[in-house]
Amino acid sequence: MNARLLAAATGSWLVLWLPPIRHTLESDMVLHMAVQVPLLIMLGVLVAVVARDREPRWLADADWLGIPGIVAVVLGTSFWMLPRALDQAVSDPWADLIKFLSLPLLVGVPLGLSWRRMPPLGRAFIWANFIPKLGAIGGLYLGAPTRLCAYYRLDQQELAGWTLIAIAVALGMTWFFAAFVGWTPSCAKQSPRRSGGFLIAAVGGN
Amino acid sequence: MTIAATAGRTAINPRAAVLAYLAVSGIVLLLMMLLGLTMRLAQAQWIDVSPDFFYVVMTMHGAGMVGIAGLCSAAVMWHFVRRHVPVSTAVFLTNLVFFLIGAVLILGAGFIGGFGAAWTFLFPLPAHSGGLWSVNAAAAYLVGLIFIGVGFLLLHLDIARGILSVYGGLGAALGVKQAFGLAHGEEGPPPAVTASTMALIANILGILVGAAVLIISLVNLYVPSFTFNALAAKNLIYYFGHTFINVTIYMAVIAVYEILPIYAHRAWKTNWAFYLAWVLSTVFVLTVYTHHLLMDFAMPTWTLVAGQVISWLSGLPVLLVTAFGTLTVVYRSGLRWNPAAALVFLGVAGWAIGVIPAIADGTIAVNSVMHNTQWVPGHFHTYLLLGMVAMVLGFMTYLTNPQSRYGVAWLGYWLYLLGGVVFVLAFLSAGSASVPRRYAVHVAQWLPYDRIGSIGAACAIAGVLILIVRFFVGMRTAASAQDPSG
Ligand code: HEM
Repeated sequence: MNARLLAAATGSWLVLWLPPIRHTLESDMVLHMAVQVPLLIMLGVLVAVVARDREPRWLADADWLGIPGIVAVVLGTSFWMLPRALDQAVSDPWADLIKFLSLPLLVGVPLGLSWRRMPPLGRAFIWANFIPKLGAIGGLYLGAPTRLCAYYRLDQQELAGWTLIAIAVALGMTWFFAAFVGWTPSCAKQSPRRSGGFLIAAVGGN
Repeated sequence: MTIAATAGRTAINPRAAVLAYLAVSGIVLLLMMLLGLTMRLAQAQWIDVSPDFFYVVMTMHGAGMVGIAGLCSAAVMWHFVRRHVPVSTAVFLTNLVFFLIGAVLILGAGFIGGFGAAWTFLFPLPAHSGGLWSVNAAAAYLVGLIFIGVGFLLLHLDIARGILSVYGGLGAALGVKQAFGLAHGEEGPPPAVTASTMALIANILGILVGAAVLIISLVNLYVPSFTFNALAAKNLIYYFGHTFINVTIYMAVIAVYEILPIYAHRAWKTNWAFYLAWVLSTVFVLTVYTHHLLMDFAMPTWTLVAGQVISWLSGLPVLLVTAFGTLTVVYRSGLRWNPAAALVFLGVAGWAIGVIPAIADGTIAVNSVMHNTQWVPGHFHTYLLLGMVAMVLGFMTYLTNPQSRYGVAWLGYWLYLLGGVVFVLAFLSAGSASVPRRYAVHVAQWLPYDRIGSIGAACAIAGVLILIVRFFVGMRTAASAQDPSG
């Protein structure tokens, strides 16, 4: 099972790296930000699922309440949200390779490992920060006076802005309705009543 | 379902934490009331305040009052909800610390930086000070709001966690099944849980929206070329601001559900109508804010029509079941009136009465005449000062030795009530005579309203001062005491 997961993750990574696919996904700002980047992070999360059992104890201990890991996630994603960084990835294959390695390994893996360690309140707080920030960045894309990325047109930037706002609204609504009906993802079902239902949603359970 | 909350899990005494909230609230409430009085006296031309400073005071009074209303009503909510669900005292106190940091930033922005763009910080005003305040002062104000928002977010999320761990879903905690006849009303969640659920739904969504618009405003301050659609920003700000202040009443009303039954020796009965009211008000509170935009002709007409209709309906369901419930609990119960019971009772009355001019103003035809008049502070001071604050003062009196020294508390009660009535009536009658709101300088014809209003305000503040001093006197014994309910 683990070997298969790892093979699937590596295979998907290679497929994403194939020039036609890579160039298609990077030719458009929305595809780049809202499809390629999250996919790369997800591949890292898959790796974390495999690595979980082999994680050295000292690492688990050092990752107190999952905070260091989640800080790494925040830093990694923030870096790849910088217009300059995205530009660099489009223009320079080496920079793109760094993106292809850092998003799974420095964002996806810590996300998969640390999220489970975070107490429910911490996870909920991260969601509650992530959603408005996504919306605000979308709003700023719409309000920006000029192109933010040298490689993307103004209309692509506007579409990216609306996409981010739509994702923020969709995430907010999903979060709300999940809490309203008390939905818990199957991976977190162990003790939904004790652990706080939806708050443990997303990557990995308790 | 009762849970011994966090007992034994934390070294911090939860009761002392509630008292700390109330102590901070008492002091800030009084200080903010004095700022309000300063404005009224300036409008009455009894004291001299420069117009620049008037707007600083107005901004500080608005932001300070809205913030402290949130804080003290959160204390009421937390005190009662923790009887039913596990919550963290540490998180509760974290909110207080965040609040204090935010308050320092906001006060610094106003009194040191001169920020005076009103508590509503409507975009793009913070960035256009006309030289009255610096960009940093505006940023300090916005960051202060973010601190306060983050604190409340944590508090509501923690209560959500506790509620979900007991009830499974927010819908169940709100009593949706009971509301639609799918379960017996008597088996529904306790009123404190239902009210806390509505408060957290509304405030979490409001804070998320508020955070987004605050970030955008901050960026606009430092990089003015990043603009944002001003009408969209206004929508977002009112979504957050209106919801936040509105929810304070829904948190404070828990005091009525919990305190009156103790003195009346009668349980607060819940039935399907009670839960249906809370479900409806939850939906309305999230959609009612458009009545703040009735003057914005660029808004799509349907949103304004919806704003009008929802304004009529919004508070009514919960208000009706609460007012009706209050009367049934009190009627022929043999209740021996004491200041705590009288204050929470007054809270329901002040809320019910204040809603009437509010509904009038939520009507487009009336709004186009009354909107920027003192009718508006008239109606919201009625249900905030004589409604929400009365409920909180009732809670404070209830916690701190309600058995003795009634005499002085009654004096405080009557001064506060009579002064408060005169103060709000002065606003309402000035509004009906078209005296504009938010004017630093008033013409001679308006002065009688301002002067009567000032006298009323001074009496009300004296009454509140007595009640709060009495609270501080009783605080020491209250920290170690049991609830009067036993
Ligand atoms: C005795 C107590 C109080 C006094 C003397 C007072 C006085 C005032 C005055 C004079 C104004 C400006 C009116 C105008 O626009 O011309 C005002 C505005 C306001 N007050 Fe009060 N007030 C008191 C209590 C409260 C309370 C308890 C709250 C809320 C919990 C509150 C919230 C506000 C808000 C939100 C505004 C609007 C500020 C703005 O227009 O930006 N006030 N108050």
